Parts: sequence; structure tokens; C-alpha cells
Amino acid sequence: MKTPASDRCRSLLEQLSKDIDGDLTPAERRSLTAHLRRCPCCQTMADSLKHTVDACRKAGTARLPADVRLRARARIATLLASGAATRHRT
Amino acid sequence: MPIVVTKRAETNPSIKGQDARGTDYATLLRAAQGGNQAAMERLLMKTQEIAYRFSLLVCGHADDADDAMQEALLKTYRHAAQIKEPAAFRTWLYRTVKNACLISRRRRVDEPARLHSLDEVSIAPDGSLQRIDVEDQGRRPDQVMENSRLRQSLHRALQTLPPDSRLIVFLREVEGLSTREVAAVVGISEANVKTRLHRARLSLRRHLEAP
Repeated sequence: MKTPASDRCRSLLEQLSKDIDGDLTPAERRSLTAHLRRCPCCQTMADSLKHTVDACRKAGTARLPADVRLRARARIATLLASGAATRHRT
Repeated sequence: MPIVVTKRAETNPSIKGQDARGTDYATLLRAAQGGNQAAMERLLMKTQEIAYRFSLLVCGHADDADDAMQEALLKTYRHAAQIKEPAAFRTWLYRTVKNACLISRRRRVDEPARLHSLDEVSIAPDGSLQRIDVEDQGRRPDQVMENSRLRQSLHRALQTLPPDSRLIVFLREVEGLSTREVAAVVGISEANVKTRLHRARLSLRRHLEAP
């Protein structure tokens, strides 16, 4: 069963985001931690936000598909070869 | 318990200027400017990787990726030698990729928009779309399916955000820029970046948690 969000919970939403960015003061962080320990509603929200941010960060570490990578390498080789040829002529 | 997420630039000064894969762009640029060909090749590959992700996640158009990669590649190659402040290179690079992607989109503005997820497609040399693998080789099928499902959900959720917020989420969360760097690329204040990022996170969370 879900615990209903209180005004205090709603006011903590921004702090959860700040915590992810490391923007809370030590006192704010202690207060947030204490609240999360006794509030399943906010703990669920905190876990959920973390899951969201982690999903984004994983997308940033995905490798290029093999065929896209091959074409990217070919473009670089062509460009560097043409650059070298230009330098050689001048 | 407090939230534990991998810390990025401003919370860990030792990785300032590095991307999610730990690339130090300023060092790479200095080496490339000094004539190190391997560094230049790596820089040009990084540029194209960013343009590819930008095309898919921010523009939502996999069809534009090759054009955007080519445009970003040329700009970086032509201007890398002239950049006086290597520390500012990363910001320049993302601005360049953003412009390259917008240019390639304008060229195709009359074509219908199609949305694809990161693990759904790549573009074959003949221009057709084909399914792609990614980094899932060697992983258990259930992990591959979970990663695939997550990427598709994330891609759909990102497309529901306003374009500016999508750009901010891409730069900050996907690419790992600091809020200062994001502010410089987007052209708004750091406080504004933080406010929009917070709203975007909540919106993304709602979409990712939706059944």
C-alpha cells in the first residue's frame, strides 16, 4: 500500500535532485537521510529518481554499433589522408 | 538512505572535463594539436560518437546521424588546431555537434519524422535502416533484453520532454557535462539548468515508471 505524500515530502522533491548532484549541505543531507529512513514514500521516489538518472548515464556509455563505427573510422581515414595530401602539395 | 548515484564533474573535481567514459578532452586536444595522429583520430571518433547519440536522443532522427557525424567531424578537424583554450574545447565540441545536428535536420525538414531507439537501428551504406547490436555482446539474454527495454523506454521518455529540457538532460545526464558546461552550451544560467534538469528528471521518472 502506498504511503500518501505529505507537504513535507513534496517540498523534499527538489532536495532529492540536489542530492543526486551533490549540491546539498551536510546538514541538509543529514535531514534528508533522516526523512528517507522513516518515509517509504520518499524512499521510493529517491530510488526511482536514481534509477532514472542511472538509465540516462548508461545510454552515455553505450558503444557505437559496429557498422556505424566502421563508417566513422572510414570517414576519419579519408579526411586524414586528404589532409596529408593537401599538406604535401603545399 | 541517501541517493547514491555515480558522481560527476562538479562533485568530483578529479574528473572535471572528462566524459562518462573518462576521456579527458583537453589533454586529447593538446596531443592532437602537437601532431599526435592517434590523438587526433580518437578526438574525431569521439566527435562522431557524440553526434550519433545527439541525433538519436535529442533530435530523435536516426536518419540524420551519418550527416551529423560527417558535419561534426569536418568542423572539429578544421578548427581543432586553432582552439587556444583546450579547457574550453569540450563546450565548443558540444556546441558544434548541436549545430551540426540542427543543420542536417534542416536539410531533411521535408521528410517525415521517425523515432528510433538507440538499440533499434543503424543506417546501412544504402541509406536503409537495420537493427543494431551495441555493447551487449557476451551478456546473458535476460540482461540484453533488460538493457534493450530500458533504452527503448528511455528513448520514448526523452521524446516527451520539451526540446530544451531534452538537450539539458542529454548534456548533463547522458554525456556527463557539469552544470556550468551545460549552461555554456545551451546559453542559460546554471540556476536555470538546475531548475529545468530537476523538472525533467521528475518527468522522465514518471514516464519510465509508467506501466
